[in-house]
Amino acid sequence: MSTNLLIVAFERPAIDWHAVAPEIVLLSVGVLITLLDILFLEKARPYMAALSGLGILATAIPLLTLGIDGTERVLFDGAYVVDNFSLVLKAIFLLAGYVVILLSTNYIVDGDYWESEYYGLLLASLMGMIMMASSRDLISVFVALELLSIPAYLMVAWRKRDPKSNEAGLKYYLMGVFASAVMLYGMSLLFGVSGTTVLSEIADSIDAGNGSSSVMTLGIVFVVAGFAFKVSAVPFHTWAPDVYEGAPTPVTAFLSVASKAAGFVALLALIFVGFYELSNIWEPLIWILAALSMTVGNLVALRQTNIVRLMAYSGVAQTGFMIAPLAVAGHSLSTGNQALSAIVTYLAIYAAMNLGAFAVIITLARRTGSAEIDSFSGAFHFAPGLTVAMTIFLFSLAGIPPLGGWFAKFEVFRVLATSGETWGYLLAVVAAINSVIALFYYATIARKMWADDPSEKDLNNIEVTPSLVSALAICVLVTLLFGIFPQLVARFTEVSLLAFGV
Amino acid sequence: METVVFLISAAVILSGALGVIFSKNPVHSALFMVQTLFGVAVLFVLLEATFLAAIQVIVYAGAIVILFVFVITLLGVDRAEDLKVEPISGQRPLAVVLGASIFGIILTVLIVAVGGPTGEQVANTPIGDASDNTKILGEALFSTHVFSVELTALLLTVAVVGAVVLSTRPTKPLISTLDKQQNDNLEDELEEKGEE
Amino acid sequence: MSITTTWYLLLAAILFSIGTTGLLVRRNPLIMFMCIELMLNAVNITFVSIGSHLNDLGGQLAVFFVLVVAAAEVVIGLALVVAIMRRRSRTNADDLKILGG
Repeated sequence: MSTNLLIVAFERPAIDWHAVAPEIVLLSVGVLITLLDILFLEKARPYMAALSGLGILATAIPLLTLGIDGTERVLFDGAYVVDNFSLVLKAIFLLAGYVVILLSTNYIVDGDYWESEYYGLLLASLMGMIMMASSRDLISVFVALELLSIPAYLMVAWRKRDPKSNEAGLKYYLMGVFASAVMLYGMSLLFGVSGTTVLSEIADSIDAGNGSSSVMTLGIVFVVAGFAFKVSAVPFHTWAPDVYEGAPTPVTAFLSVASKAAGFVALLALIFVGFYELSNIWEPLIWILAALSMTVGNLVALRQTNIVRLMAYSGVAQTGFMIAPLAVAGHSLSTGNQALSAIVTYLAIYAAMNLGAFAVIITLARRTGSAEIDSFSGAFHFAPGLTVAMTIFLFSLAGIPPLGGWFAKFEVFRVLATSGETWGYLLAVVAAINSVIALFYYATIARKMWADDPSEKDLNNIEVTPSLVSALAICVLVTLLFGIFPQLVARFTEVSLLAFGV
Repeated sequence: METVVFLISAAVILSGALGVIFSKNPVHSALFMVQTLFGVAVLFVLLEATFLAAIQVIVYAGAIVILFVFVITLLGVDRAEDLKVEPISGQRPLAVVLGASIFGIILTVLIVAVGGPTGEQVANTPIGDASDNTKILGEALFSTHVFSVELTALLLTVAVVGAVVLSTRPTKPLISTLDKQQNDNLEDELEEKGEE
Repeated sequence: MSITTTWYLLLAAILFSIGTTGLLVRRNPLIMFMCIELMLNAVNITFVSIGSHLNDLGGQLAVFFVLVVAAAEVVIGLALVVAIMRRRSRTNADDLKILGG
């Protein structure tokens, strides 16, 4: 019998090469960078940033053709899906990755931080995110999560000579690995109840009546907790301020935008495709996470004196806003679809405005050598352009019209208010109060930059490198455009996952 | 027979796990971990997951534990940690309570749902018996999960590159190899002085 | 008395809790890594026993990936410890105080 089995030839699985083309292009660029580094050593270094930037742009080409084609492609027995949702998210990841490379260029050269390897890791992490956007199976979600996290642990500790950076790396690593162990235990329980690892089949199994089991509840709680860590929702946010402060600032920008978005993507795929029917389990969980994240994040942010720590807590609060629509998503199918669109919209706009804010912080910190808010006082006198840009980003983060952040918050409120659930209204009230608190500390920074006297004597205009200018230009453009013409972003983010799972 | 093997390996696994967390010396912890890992491998054999039992021993007990012991001896951290000194007051009881409550929750849920963690037997891909387990596993890995497998290859590459970058000594760029050597020596001296 | 899947699940639950407790109690990063390995082993036992009960290969496949990822994680964790130990004589998670978290 065993000889008989050996004779049967292994059949190569059918692979839709067009569907995985973006991944293959990105992977090739990563391999190319590694090879060039080995072959040319120091000589290749100055070209690495440009090469990885071009690589990301090249990855966008197959993404575009897939978008024009528009058919939903399902690979590997439903484990890997290329649909509008995943394409939009992949585009957000690529754009965020491109901006982070622009931010890193000078920072990494100045500090002599192992350029080739740095860009290699950045691309590997992006690869994990791109895979995450398409993963519809517990195993590939797990592998994608690790692929995006492990390079991130390394990049946080990238300033090897700085003990702060080392510590941040170790802390991030310990918390991250702990969270993924908890998440895995949850996944094993989910597998136990449903007997499958493919999300759509888990949904089928829930339909068949396996969802009432308390093991399922525990599995969902563990998995949601694991991803709450990744998106830094309270009470799983404690790593964020320390890691953000210790990490190289471009990496902080990357973590606060791309890594957070990746956590959201996984959460959305799991909830909408996997256990949408069990909204009585995950809705209260998400409600608590959202309310706590908004309130705690904002209140602690009020007391921060370091701008990076402030951005960390503001990021926690923004997570609360982003996650809030999920708390009512189980009400009905149309609410679910609206909630999904609202979250994707928020992710896209948040990426632009938060990256922009970090671009200004990096530029100013190059001059002042400090990340204390007070050192930015009177920035208008020596960096008027940057001050205007920062004001745009801060007010957008606060949600003031006609900037992008306004539309993002508006969508969140709309979903909460039209859900018709008391809990939704209550969360909308919490969100409204928090918007006011947030405006207070965002405005304080802007006021200091405009009105205060500069602490420095050197009032020559600050020098901004071309790559930072382009990064700022992209972010300002997106923030303004999405605020003034919200239908632009709404056209792209009107995606749905529910037709598939339910 | 199966019952006896299960009970013995369970005892081996749990005593090893307790040993890991109660040993003062990291080397002892590492050895206790080998004990646990072997116990788990026996369970895998009992469950007819022969391939996994093999890589459990080869990868875990072989590679990972050796790596731990290497780092412990390399860095000389085999200094006993004083368990009596409590770093943050109240932290330890809190941790024990937390661990116990996690156990309590899992236990209660499992008991409430006896027969619950046993979804319907859909059997998408049957496991096969001990003789063709490896073959079936390999085919599944390289057909439906081929994408994940390829990406774990990338993951391992990333881990190796990152580990090399992190653990090499900081060097100054753009200096000749000879200078670099001297520089390293100088740095070693400085580090030694710093430690004193 | 015959051994059912529930026994394996209980064993895994106990192992997972021991790992969690150890991770929270111990302050030596190396031992904390080991505790994480214990937790991952608990996950592996759960996956394999459920897979065997359901006669489904998914459990074993998941364990394969957990093993590979665990190997990569340990490499990174130990490299981080080495990088830190190069600068200081002792490593203790509570000594990491510069960041004040």
